[in-house]
Amino acid sequence: MAHNFKTDLWVDWCPGCGDFGILAAIQQALAEYNAKPENYVIVSGIGCSAKTPHYVNVSGIHTLHGRAIPFATGIKLSNPNLTVILDGGDGDLLSIGAGHFVAAGRRNVDFTIILHNNGVYGLTKGQASPTLPRGTKTKGLQRPNIYDSLNPVALALSVGYTFVARAYAFNIKYTKDIILKAIKHKGTAVIDLLQPCPTYNDINTKEWYDQRIYYLDQEKDWDPVVRKPEEEEVEKKYLQAINKSLEWGDKIPVGIFYQNEFVPTYEERIKQNFPNYFEDPPATSQISKKDGSAIVDMENIFRDKIVRK
Amino acid sequence: MSKTDIDLIIGGPQGGGIDSAAQVVIRSFTIAGFESYGLREYHSNIKGRHSYFHVRIKEEPVRSLRYPVDMLVCLDGETPFVHMDDVTSNSIIIYDSDFGNTKLDQVITMEPETQKHIREKFQTLKVEPVIKNLMEYQKSRGVNVVPISFRKLITDTLGQNKPPARYSNTLGASISMAMLGLPAEITKSGIASVFGRKKEVVEDNEKIVDAAYKYVDSLGIKIKKLDIREYRERFMVTGNEAVGIGKVLGGLKFQTYYPITPAADESFFLEGHDYFEEAIENQNEQLRKTGVVIVQAEDEISAIAMAISGAMTGARTATATSGPGFSLMAEALGYAGINEIPVVLTLYQRGGPSTGLPTRNSQADLLFALNAGHGDFPRIVISSGDAEEAIFDAVKAFNYAERYQVPVIHIMDKVLANSFYVIDKVDSSKIKIQRWILPSSDNEEYQRFKFTETGISPMGLFGKQIFWLTGDEHNELGHITEDPETRDAMMEKRMKKLEIASKEIPLEDKLLVFGDKDAEISIVSWGSNKGPILDAMDKLREEGIKTRLIYLRLFSPFPSKEVAEALKGSKVIIDIENNYTAQAALVIKEHTGINVDKFILKYNGRHVTEDEVYKSIKEVLNGKDKVVMTSGA
Repeated sequence: MAHNFKTDLWVDWCPGCGDFGILAAIQQALAEYNAKPENYVIVSGIGCSAKTPHYVNVSGIHTLHGRAIPFATGIKLSNPNLTVILDGGDGDLLSIGAGHFVAAGRRNVDFTIILHNNGVYGLTKGQASPTLPRGTKTKGLQRPNIYDSLNPVALALSVGYTFVARAYAFNIKYTKDIILKAIKHKGTAVIDLLQPCPTYNDINTKEWYDQRIYYLDQEKDWDPVVRKPEEEEVEKKYLQAINKSLEWGDKIPVGIFYQNEFVPTYEERIKQNFPNYFEDPPATSQISKKDGSAIVDMENIFRDKIVRK
Repeated sequence: MSKTDIDLIIGGPQGGGIDSAAQVVIRSFTIAGFESYGLREYHSNIKGRHSYFHVRIKEEPVRSLRYPVDMLVCLDGETPFVHMDDVTSNSIIIYDSDFGNTKLDQVITMEPETQKHIREKFQTLKVEPVIKNLMEYQKSRGVNVVPISFRKLITDTLGQNKPPARYSNTLGASISMAMLGLPAEITKSGIASVFGRKKEVVEDNEKIVDAAYKYVDSLGIKIKKLDIREYRERFMVTGNEAVGIGKVLGGLKFQTYYPITPAADESFFLEGHDYFEEAIENQNEQLRKTGVVIVQAEDEISAIAMAISGAMTGARTATATSGPGFSLMAEALGYAGINEIPVVLTLYQRGGPSTGLPTRNSQADLLFALNAGHGDFPRIVISSGDAEEAIFDAVKAFNYAERYQVPVIHIMDKVLANSFYVIDKVDSSKIKIQRWILPSSDNEEYQRFKFTETGISPMGLFGKQIFWLTGDEHNELGHITEDPETRDAMMEKRMKKLEIASKEIPLEDKLLVFGDKDAEISIVSWGSNKGPILDAMDKLREEGIKTRLIYLRLFSPFPSKEVAEALKGSKVIIDIENNYTAQAALVIKEHTGINVDKFILKYNGRHVTEDEVYKSIKEVLNGKDKVVMTSGA
């Protein structure tokens, strides 16, 4: 019998929340990717999006505000054979967890980051998040936002993410396809997932997005993939992606901006020093003999500490 | 036969090879069959500021250092000033005579406050603060002063092309060992043992050894040759390395860290020993290539988060940090508490608060280790007092973490971290690795937080079972709940585990009692103070003063009954620790209601020595309620 990817909990998001679309897309993507259900782990931070793991019937770890990336990294590096997907809000990943977001780009651990981007901190009543433009007054704010917004796609590109995409929560099929591609990507994939917050963001509504979104893969000649490991090709695709990331306003591009699988993953970098890493990862490596004594012999491993005559 | 008991300080600029000199001394004496123990003191600086190495050498195991020292070797113009009071009559000062005319205010590497204190001493002596005057003063009080032009001796030996500064460390060490009566051959072995692979360096330094011994001969001082003892194979490790060795023996597979003094050396050491080959059951078996993954994280928050989540895959995971990093880890520590995650955190205490004294000693993080993180959650807090304890405690920390599914904080301190210990090999068969991971078959209906009699639920793993974790209060499955009854049950389930831990952890891992069991004078202490206190107690015993030491090892769950029992019959209880607020005494009072009567405290960041503990105990026995120890440069 096929595994049921839904848990039987009542999903407690507001009616009309973009999270419903993202949740459905994740459940469909996991079913289609078809790994062993025990081998998936969904990691989240804090906030509305962070409840996602509880609604998916695979292992889930709902962590601390801003810290989903290090938690996901610990799981993947201890057991590189698991499939790890991370859900974080825009505040979670780009404000309190911004340092981790930058470090993750530099590491390129093989997992997927779904960045729930609705411009607000919903669970604390609608404060401005790092993606809300300056001068915008959503209904939860006392006065217009006086922070400048940041561009998650450009940020991700500039710190080294090897798969950078954008999707829209209410196109579930398209979102599922992008998530699936992100999971299959070798390296860290980040998806800027646009979603309305029907309760606190009365500016970027479903209607607002519906009028602006267009799909990059329907554009003629759009090829975001680095095809050969040459500096010229990487630079061309990178600059193309950066340029495209600046488009925002009347037209909002959705799709894959950039993909480069020639950058070694962090796991592959570990394997350089530790050839058996994938076969004998930290998670499953035997650490004691049958009688419980140590396998490791002090004289063998730490021989450089012996004072020899 | 008079027993060997030598205290030696070698001082010089940071980056001037003090570390190598220290290693040459300890390795040479180890080769000669002696026991030794040494400590490195240094500024938060890469090059130029004063650093020194203090070592003690004996025939029997060395537990502490002692002032005044028998020999002071000065590789620069700062050392004679800074350590002027660390010598006494019959001590020997070896100094670089090229610095003879150096005035105090020319020592630009010295902090102005230190200069001021030294200038005041010279005002009392009524001489100008110049090194040659200082040496006259030292001679006048019976100190033997040996001037050597380091530059001349080195260039005469190696020619003009070798920079003298590069060899002054081995020259200083060699002169001292020549004067202590150690044969040149052994000093050369020590040199080879330190610089092993670098042939040219070894050859040059061997020439320096010969020149040093010749020079000492030419002084015409009568030197008593040391009786060489039987050599046996020993390991020379720092406290940082001891913890690293213990972790690897205990099955460490994943360690995370962010660079911080004095914790980073542990992870740095592990990075040099992270990939190896081992036979699992016997020698004939094919070797298994395996290793430990060490991750330098982007900050300490990330370091602890990675270690916590890594533990949920079944790997034995740990992180190591110091006060400022530990402060950042507080929130995640609570996450490990509520999610019952077996993670080990090695905490190297240094002088606080804030950046404090980054390279100096302290024991002021005990209460923080016991209370870090918001809300109530169970944790185990253990403390080590020397390298051998640190190795076995690192293994026990993993066992406790996994048995009780709690974060374990293993407290160390800067003195332990940066001391050199010479230890015997730890036999792998003596390491007991205890695992309590759920077999992989039990998947259906698996509940991560299942209520049980002990409060300990079967532990599932990512990759084996499906379950949820959340920092929210949760039900048995790991889903969020705010139901009041479930909340009570979960809180009680978690906290109950400490009761089981209290029952199961053996007495010797809770506390140790040393000295005269029926003594009416009880001392309580913990951590690196153990050695100097034991030595001071021996000295007091020679004078007929009987004491006992209640040495605390487990702070959470606190062994209230055992401590109360150990303190029975005390007429006076003296607390000795390296902090201002007498934190261990507060913990004893909190859990047992027993008041400590007298306090011997130190918070200047320097190591506690045998002589000052001895002196301070006598002062409190003569009526003082509190003594603040102030020794150390």
